Amino acid sequence: MAQLTSPARAHRQATRRPKVRWWRGAVLLLAGVYFVVPLAASAWFSIDEPKGISFEAYTGLLSAPGFLDSLWLTLGLALVTVLVLLLLLVPALIAVRLGAPRLRPVIDVLCTLPLVVPPVALTAGMIGVLRWGPDYLMDTPFFQTFVFVQDPDFPVVLVIAYVLMALPLAYRSLDAGLRAVDVRTLVEAARNCGASWPRAVFTVVLPNLRGALLNASFLTLALVLGEFTAASILGYQPFPVWIYSVGNSQAHMSVAVSILSLLLTWLLLLLLASVGRQRGSKTATS
Amino acid sequence: MTTAISPVTGATHSTGSATVEFRSLRRTFGATTALDGLDLTVRPGELLALLGPSGCGKTTALRILAGFEQHDSGQVLVDGKDITAIPAHKRDAGMVFQSYSLFPHLTAADNVAFGLRMRGAGKAERLKRAKELLELVGLPQHAGRYPHQMSGGQQQRIALARALALQPRVLLLDEPLSALDAKVRLSLREEIRRLQQELGITTLFVTHDQEEALSMADRVAVLRSGRLEQCAAPAELYARPATAFVAEFVGTMSRIPCERSGEGVEVLGRRHAVDGALPADGSLQVLVRPENVRLTPDEHGVALVVSASFLGAVTRLTVRLNDRTEVKADLPTEAAAGLPVGSRAALTLPERPVLVDRRTV
Amino acid sequence: MTTAPTPVPTTPAATEPGGGAGASRTAARTTHTPTRRRGPLARLGGAWLATLPLLLFFVIGFGLPTVAIVIGAFTTSSDAETGAGQFTFDNVTASVQGAYLTAMLSSLKLSALTALLATLIGLPLAQAVVTSRQGWLRQAVLTASGVLANFGGLPLAFAFVATLGNAGEITRLLHLTDHGWSLYTFTGLTIVYLYFLIPLMVLTITPALDGLRVQWREAAQNNRATTYQYWRHVALPILLPSLLGGFVLLFGSAFAAYATAAAMVGATVPLVSRSIADALSGNVLVGQGNLALALSLNMIVVAVLVMAVYLPLQRRSARWLS
Repeated sequence: MAQLTSPARAHRQATRRPKVRWWRGAVLLLAGVYFVVPLAASAWFSIDEPKGISFEAYTGLLSAPGFLDSLWLTLGLALVTVLVLLLLLVPALIAVRLGAPRLRPVIDVLCTLPLVVPPVALTAGMIGVLRWGPDYLMDTPFFQTFVFVQDPDFPVVLVIAYVLMALPLAYRSLDAGLRAVDVRTLVEAARNCGASWPRAVFTVVLPNLRGALLNASFLTLALVLGEFTAASILGYQPFPVWIYSVGNSQAHMSVAVSILSLLLTWLLLLLLASVGRQRGSKTATS
Repeated sequence: MTTAISPVTGATHSTGSATVEFRSLRRTFGATTALDGLDLTVRPGELLALLGPSGCGKTTALRILAGFEQHDSGQVLVDGKDITAIPAHKRDAGMVFQSYSLFPHLTAADNVAFGLRMRGAGKAERLKRAKELLELVGLPQHAGRYPHQMSGGQQQRIALARALALQPRVLLLDEPLSALDAKVRLSLREEIRRLQQELGITTLFVTHDQEEALSMADRVAVLRSGRLEQCAAPAELYARPATAFVAEFVGTMSRIPCERSGEGVEVLGRRHAVDGALPADGSLQVLVRPENVRLTPDEHGVALVVSASFLGAVTRLTVRLNDRTEVKADLPTEAAAGLPVGSRAALTLPERPVLVDRRTV
Repeated sequence: MTTAPTPVPTTPAATEPGGGAGASRTAARTTHTPTRRRGPLARLGGAWLATLPLLLFFVIGFGLPTVAIVIGAFTTSSDAETGAGQFTFDNVTASVQGAYLTAMLSSLKLSALTALLATLIGLPLAQAVVTSRQGWLRQAVLTASGVLANFGGLPLAFAFVATLGNAGEITRLLHLTDHGWSLYTFTGLTIVYLYFLIPLMVLTITPALDGLRVQWREAAQNNRATTYQYWRHVALPILLPSLLGGFVLLFGSAFAAYATAAAMVGATVPLVSRSIADALSGNVLVGQGNLALALSLNMIVVAVLVMAVYLPLQRRSARWLS
């Protein structure tokens, strides 16, 4: 037996994947350098003051004028945007699957359309609409609506813009989630067990959509936390616009905040990934 | 050998009829042993089915032969030559995969002619050959279709044509029917067998479906945990299984407790002769097939009918003996009508049970 | 597709590898099997009602601005001598001339170049990740891609200013300014854009690479194809729709981007998005108040073309790779 096996083994070693996958190492290394260097350099830049290493850019943040106000504004906008988006999308998507399949292509197109209007153009259009207020509607009750929508303390117009910008991504995320759970069968099974319509949706469909809901929320959150275009052109000052204005006077602080916002995004994403994994393992074992 | 396949290259290398030998083939994946010293010879021109439960190593053996896996030790010989050093793309074996193996961006004809294109054959030659092969598998009108425009059965026919396009000496079929509907499976089964016999090509057919293996193959090799249990013609395998594993994997078996009685055994108060030696120790059971069990209505019989399932010409009755052993018996449907569920029957076993095994339950 | 959603699907394509068409067809077919007790009309009404808020929101939030753009692009603005609301081609004509034409061309050039580079770099990177046997490497790269693809806008601009700007760490370390380096140029902007476009490409193309079946590679080998022939005749043709789709998506992303360029380059590289912002802040000639809307319309036209190319490609690759 040994006589037979040893030549075979020699063959095997000669043929089994002789090529080293050098290209993979090279590709990953180059990519690693390109992506890590700017991050490392910014981190260094943010503490590299002329007089030596200093963490003032970070410690001075809280007392910086406008920092907290803009942060609160952004968080508020993010929260409201996520809520509005989910309240609009979830009932519509579930209903489309349960009762009005003919509306489905319509919803599909509507939720894809915002992709063809870049944020700058959308903002331009909104400004166009807002000008109608003073131009044509000065003496009508609609005018009050225009004023309310543009309230600088909480600009609803930004929420509208953000919901539209997040719509395509959130839609696709929720749609993928719904596709995986077969809503119709779930609801029919629940109804068969004696659950009412709303109860079936709340106790059976929504829990199964948890991953997709979280995913959509995260994407929306990330978008609002970083959105600069609409806010700056419309003249409000949420967090990203604040970073911009700080950048003009205090370069170190703006870089420090940039790094922090990157870390925040990262953290959110890891959180989401771990929630997704938990859910995945649960379905795998069930 | 066949008129349907005319030599493309002009060279008259013989299609099919290679001998394939696995010698002490061993392969482990991490902690699991896929092949544990497999010894098996496939004769020229035969269709040999590799049969076994999932994880028994049958697919691994096939993939080693095709060159997609490497063995740890042992040898694979084709016509006496060790093929270990030959890379997959130079091996002379056409393979049909389980499913979805057609290239989605190519038409049926281009899929079939793919190998010829890799060899640098001209367009005219490829077209001609693809046409021949599509006719061979009965889909000449599908030449221009894409895989997603064809049914699963059609796709597998095209895959078969592609595997045959380069006139390989060995044809490898890796559960080619398992993803298809029952009906399509039956017709394609016959189709493959017909083609294989027409071409006389040495064929290895991996399957976990015993019915498929028995109905198609010249010989069936039953594998268990990476080893060969038995390799024999279907009829022999069914009638004279070498081990209890083979007996129960191939066809249906009932186990009935029995006692030693000299060279034979005693079951339900009657002596039965046994082929071969009895297991040395332990309590024993006989293994019998349903069609060999006879039931006759008898108020005082040992068997109580507990269920019946209609199978067409025969009805399979399950009866319970006094010790709660359950036995299956196939009766002509008319005879079974005389034995409704709840009635009692006398039970007669065949003169020689299929096998005697150590008691497992 | 039935597994838990990918943690980082920041692009439509990333969440869309499965057969959407197939799923929708089955859903449509099963809808008429009734288990309705309250009558079809009541049920249908309920379903329509639930979609009503979304439709209303869409009409007001999206419909009105779009209408405003289209109307505004073809009418005079309130500062015009002839008075507001007169039909005119002046805005549209002005928007494709002179500096605005330069900006449009520059935007197109930047978007095409960065999308092309990101596609060419992203493919091998994604392939390196997909073929890697280390699960953690895949997880790490995909998570990082998710973050970096979202890392557009201001933070990205500031990070590069801190790295390669005039006072950037690397600029000073390697004395790049002495060699004529400046981040505030077309080349500089290209490097910055690639920073979020490459991860976007990795996210877009990874599902497609995952969709390449092992059977295809093995069937190709079984049909005498070498590794090179496999890539040339099987893998790349199958990936082509995904690659083109990814390219187009990246192009659209780069084209629509505003914040990064706004924060970084000042006026040295003219871009449409910046022209619009300038025009909106009144930085235009008298009588061209609606020029911004005409420019927006141009942008929308480009984006519509992009989507018109992207969606069919997307559908085809979904059919092949699902």
